[in-house]
Amino acid sequence: MKSIFLEWKKIRRTGFFPLFLGGGIVAGAVPIIHMAVRSKVYLIEQTPPIPFLFYENWQMMAMVNMLLVVTGSSLLYHLEYDHYAMEKWKSLPMRESSIFFGKVILTISMSTLPLGMEAGAIAFCSYHWFEVGSSLLKELWKSFAYAFLLMIPCILLSLLLSEACKNMWVSLGIGVICLFTATMLPTNNFLLSLFPFATNFQMAASMDRTKIIYYIYGSALESLILVLAEFLLIKVRRSFT
Amino acid sequence: MNIIETKNLSKSYGDFTAVSGINLHIPKGKVYGFLGPNGAGKSTTMKMFLGLTKPTGGSFTINGKKYPENRMEILKEVGSFIESPAFYGNLSGEENLEIISKILGLSNSSVSEALEIVGLTPFKKRLAKKYSLGMKQRLGLASAFIGKPPILILDEPTNGLDPVGIHEIRSLIRSLPEKFHCTVFVSSHLLAEMELLADYIGILNRGHLLFEGTLNDLKHMALSKGYPTDHLEDTFLALIDGDNQKRGAE
Repeated sequence: MKSIFLEWKKIRRTGFFPLFLGGGIVAGAVPIIHMAVRSKVYLIEQTPPIPFLFYENWQMMAMVNMLLVVTGSSLLYHLEYDHYAMEKWKSLPMRESSIFFGKVILTISMSTLPLGMEAGAIAFCSYHWFEVGSSLLKELWKSFAYAFLLMIPCILLSLLLSEACKNMWVSLGIGVICLFTATMLPTNNFLLSLFPFATNFQMAASMDRTKIIYYIYGSALESLILVLAEFLLIKVRRSFT
Repeated sequence: MNIIETKNLSKSYGDFTAVSGINLHIPKGKVYGFLGPNGAGKSTTMKMFLGLTKPTGGSFTINGKKYPENRMEILKEVGSFIESPAFYGNLSGEENLEIISKILGLSNSSVSEALEIVGLTPFKKRLAKKYSLGMKQRLGLASAFIGKPPILILDEPTNGLDPVGIHEIRSLIRSLPEKFHCTVFVSSHLLAEMELLADYIGILNRGHLLFEGTLNDLKHMALSKGYPTDHLEDTFLALIDGDNQKRGAE
């Protein structure tokens, strides 16, 4: 709890919160603008709103979400490396891994902000342009909870990369390359689509229950591996200093 | 009683030996000056005490606690300033210290106390990245002094300070054992500074501890070896030169 409070204190004046807020606005604007411009074409088809809106917009929205995670992670570790703050931290009676996990919890919590705004935007589009059934909120909740869960490995990997690279531009560059690589991976290949940056493109709205569960298990396993990788990184780095 | 003791403490990086089997004895409640030319292994030794660098040989105890078994307990008792000031540039001096005080579980008054000790109170609201070099140095020292730890490890604490700042920090360090009953382990390559500051000194060259004792002991040793004793600088240079020749280098 202490480390989360400290991480929150450390991000003052960094633009971390406005970054996620601004990103949420941009991502949320995607379905609204899309529908505003092309609603006549889309509304000819009588499809349920959530799968339709996700199918048409989620690629772009997920991309914005991941860019936010990559940028936010690089920023968080830039704070630690810029004026050697990390060195001081290491000489204080606190576990080195607590810095990482504090940042993980902060980024995960902050990611709910754009996701919430995107959910709001999808809900707005559904009510404004579609005939809405009683199951809308349930479907919306299910879709975004799923997107949130699949985002966790991406957050862990981004923070791990940022921790490993002292230069912010290197971690940012690697993150962006990973993100664009993920867009090229076939989404119908289960193993390839488990790449942490690729899982985010999966949509619960157009997926059967078994597949959803497979992806959740896959993400949980990836998260576990990345947490172990963090402990390994600390150990390896310490043995080389 | 020695508060810090090392036993054949060593650190090697591949073929290069930074610290070679040193046996330090740092008495409680004193200022111990750690002298040596650049690259002698002073910072490496200090980093080992803080667990920032893993020793490749030997062992040490701090306040009776053994490393690495009691690393956390050791860190709770040590305030440190290593190489250069470390801080969050986006936070003010006060906010930086608040973070450290939170980690150490100290009261809010400890922050203002530490700022007062180093003379940063008028600038506490200014962002740390906008501090001058001397102010950054003071902030680094405040982060070591905060909570008045029983042991202070300070690596070249007066670097970057102007003569007035050097005098202030020197007087402060000198007064710490009496005021706060703490032990100060301070490194420097400025001999005049050490002469004014330290009760005990240790001289390190190329990772080897050449001398340990009081300044009087050093004079006696220098006399016995035929080294000049008029100025500490001459004694120091003769000692280092003698050691370099012994080890087959200029």
